[in-house]
Amino acid sequence: MKDSLKDFVDRNRDQFDSQEPTADIWSVIARSLPAGRRHLWNSVGVWRAAAAILLTLSGYLLATRNPGATTREMSHMQNDLTDLESYYRNQIAEKIGLIKDYDGAGENEQFTQDFQKLEAMYQVLSEEMKKHPNPKVKDALVLNLLVRIDLLNQQLKKLEDARKKHLPVPATTT
Amino acid sequence: MYNVGYRIVNDAAEAQDVLQEAFISAFRNLKNYRGDSTFGAWLKKIVVNKAINQVTRRKPERLPTNERWDIGEEIAVDELEGYPFTVEKVKRAIELLPDGYRVVLSLYLMEGYDHREIAGILGITESTSKSQYNRSKKKLKELLEGGSL
Repeated sequence: MKDSLKDFVDRNRDQFDSQEPTADIWSVIARSLPAGRRHLWNSVGVWRAAAAILLTLSGYLLATRNPGATTREMSHMQNDLTDLESYYRNQIAEKIGLIKDYDGAGENEQFTQDFQKLEAMYQVLSEEMKKHPNPKVKDALVLNLLVRIDLLNQQLKKLEDARKKHLPVPATTT
Repeated sequence: MYNVGYRIVNDAAEAQDVLQEAFISAFRNLKNYRGDSTFGAWLKKIVVNKAINQVTRRKPERLPTNERWDIGEEIAVDELEGYPFTVEKVKRAIELLPDGYRVVLSLYLMEGYDHREIAGILGITESTSKSQYNRSKKKLKELLEGGSL
């Protein structure tokens, strides 16, 4: 059945997302996160919130404010991203290697899950980047990698602290 | 996500509350995200549910129920064929729709859910969702042609 209204909305879908929340909404949300887990979520949570709003807004921004990204600019942005991605992915691999070197580091389920979700979100953003190359999506992609490095650093610090606690007391007499 | 909530509750302050509630609930329930839909679709469903709760809290009788709305399949006619739509007019007309009409129309037109999914979200039958959508379009037509927009 033909539906002229649906056809019209589908053709102009991006233009219907023009409402914006107040600027402080994300800091309000970050403050409302469950206490105790806040330290971990501060980085992951705020990133997710930023990524979600970026995804929602990217179509709108492209349609209304940034219609003229040239092919050259897009390819420059893509190259830039490829370089950054390879640099940060190396760092990530190196840190994962360091974590694995710790005896009994074991699998931390929460940590693994966060990592998987960040990777899933990265895939979503990458698709968006292919469809609508946009500096804001690129920033979100880079931020995603940085959040992972931050999580790995936190994990390394935890393991390092635990190791120090269990070190044998240095011998004082011979 | 803010726009998804706004279209359902039709109020800026309430849409902010919905967004906040939805994100906090999402963070608390991340372990329930199974990856069978995209993260965005999972989050959107939470926003939709929170927004519907908000509308129900306000006036429960305004959302469709099977008893009131399930009158069987109606023959849908494309009454708006050839109408000179503009985005602004359609947006304003949607905002003027009563809650029950606006929620079903937004979920179908804007959020891309099909009638089976809307039936699941609102706890109604698929045919109720379809008939409610057709009634919403009739009401929208009246608003668009009423000349007050």
